[in-house]
Amino acid sequence: MRLVPSPGLHEDSWHDEIETALHGEDGGAAGAAWRELRADVRVLAPPMSAEFERLLSDRVGEWTAAPPDDKAAPQRRLPRRGFKRLRLPSGRLRLPSPGHLRTAGLLATAACTLAIAGLIAASMQPSGQSARRELRPASAVPATRRNRVDELGPANPSAGVKASAGASGGVSNAGRAEAAANVPAGGEGALSAPGHVQQLTASVTLSSSPGEVQSLADRVTSLAVRDGGFVQSSQVQQQAQGTSEATLDLKVPSAQLSSALAALGRLAPVRAENQSLQDITGEYDAARRNLADAVAERKALLQALAKAVTQAQIESLRQQLALAGGAITRTQSSLRAVSRQASTSALEVTVVGDARAAGLTLHQGLHDAGRVLTVALVVLLIGTAVLVPLVAMCVILLLGGRAWRRHLRERALA
Amino acid sequence: MHGYAISLLGDRQSAEDVTALAFERLYRCRARLDSARGTPRAWLFAIVRNAALDELRRRRRHPSSSAADAPDTEDERSSSALERAERRATVRTALALLSRREQEVVLLKFHGQLSNGELARVLGISETNAGTRVHRALTRLREGCAELDRQEVA
Repeated sequence: MRLVPSPGLHEDSWHDEIETALHGEDGGAAGAAWRELRADVRVLAPPMSAEFERLLSDRVGEWTAAPPDDKAAPQRRLPRRGFKRLRLPSGRLRLPSPGHLRTAGLLATAACTLAIAGLIAASMQPSGQSARRELRPASAVPATRRNRVDELGPANPSAGVKASAGASGGVSNAGRAEAAANVPAGGEGALSAPGHVQQLTASVTLSSSPGEVQSLADRVTSLAVRDGGFVQSSQVQQQAQGTSEATLDLKVPSAQLSSALAALGRLAPVRAENQSLQDITGEYDAARRNLADAVAERKALLQALAKAVTQAQIESLRQQLALAGGAITRTQSSLRAVSRQASTSALEVTVVGDARAAGLTLHQGLHDAGRVLTVALVVLLIGTAVLVPLVAMCVILLLGGRAWRRHLRERALA
Repeated sequence: MHGYAISLLGDRQSAEDVTALAFERLYRCRARLDSARGTPRAWLFAIVRNAALDELRRRRRHPSSSAADAPDTEDERSSSALERAERRATVRTALALLSRREQEVVLLKFHGQLSNGELARVLGISETNAGTRVHRALTRLREGCAELDRQEVA
């Protein structure tokens, strides 16, 4: 065997020597020895099979024959007739396609960014202003708080009287429960907690253009009447310049307050809303107690009248009976008034006609444009804030994955 | 390239798979080929190397699913030159005595005829490191051949 001479002390010159020899330049005996060693190493590997060589040549010929700008060619041809399919029917040794991985990564990142930005923007949306939305009264929300409703309405004022008549003094929960049994199905209104009588009030401010204040007030009135309510007072103030305003004090059935508020929200943009709930159980109980007392007193007077023997006693008892009858009438009125408070809700609607709400003016246009730009900037800022850590994480994962893959490959050589 | 793959894998079928994949990948990614980052040949060998190492890893995980073919010795059997046959046997033995990393460097150098810069690109190391590895591997190969030759003479 021909031995290759040892390299010199300088590695660079050794590399130059071997590069010269391997690239076919003469290099003397040493060069020939290197070339011989290379040939010996190369011949250890069996040559390519004729069939594979032919396939490879054909395929490379196809590729080189394709127009250089035909970008769709590899996607069209290779998945069907590529060597991956020809040589690897079982799919082994399949390399990941970096293009597909990159596209999938970009799509996933974009989707995550949009989803997170949307969630953040949704959570940051202001809750009370300048939005058409469905309004629901506070008492209408919890289902468990709808069990007693409206039994005190004008249509059924005697329920409380009957209950109190059965009880000799004060008002029992059984009386309220009996009244609750008379509630029509689907009723919804003033009573929220079991055993409590409550009064609802609400106020809504609608925005409109100055010219539409009157018509909007009319529509609000129609709405209240349609829902079984009425207008207690109204005031419309029209000005030649500046703002116009209409104030309407409405009374609507408590059961209809929810739908009335929702309908108002559909009529015009709601600028502000306020709802309050007041417990009037004490007033209600006091009125029923007074009624029961008056009824009991009248009953006692009637019994006394039956036993009276002198004319003076009879006259005196009749006068007292007249007074007792008046007291019963008053307490019944008082009870009806309390019942009415509970069964009807006060709804104050303010319609504000503002020139800025008129639309299609230069000022409004500039204002809207400013808002659009602000929102766009906020979304951009949120998107960037979301995207930066996501991209950083993706880069770290990508680099880590590459390093790990390389480490695994290098371990295959260990 | 095919020779490098078959020397690394010892299996003609896998070597052909890897070669085909390398060409296909090169064609599909030809638009992204940046000559400043390396020659197409270095890129091809890098693809072949990665695929071959993946296959070696797969064989480690599933040793029963593949059987490495013995290198084709048809050429040797038909060779009439005894001296050449002996020399090749010596080279094969000396090559087998090298570590896998050294074998790989030798195979890349001789099969791929890669420069040190291209080798560095394929192996993902610096050019200086590649030159050192080449020097060390070829020196050990040469010394191994000499040692085997001396043993044969003795």
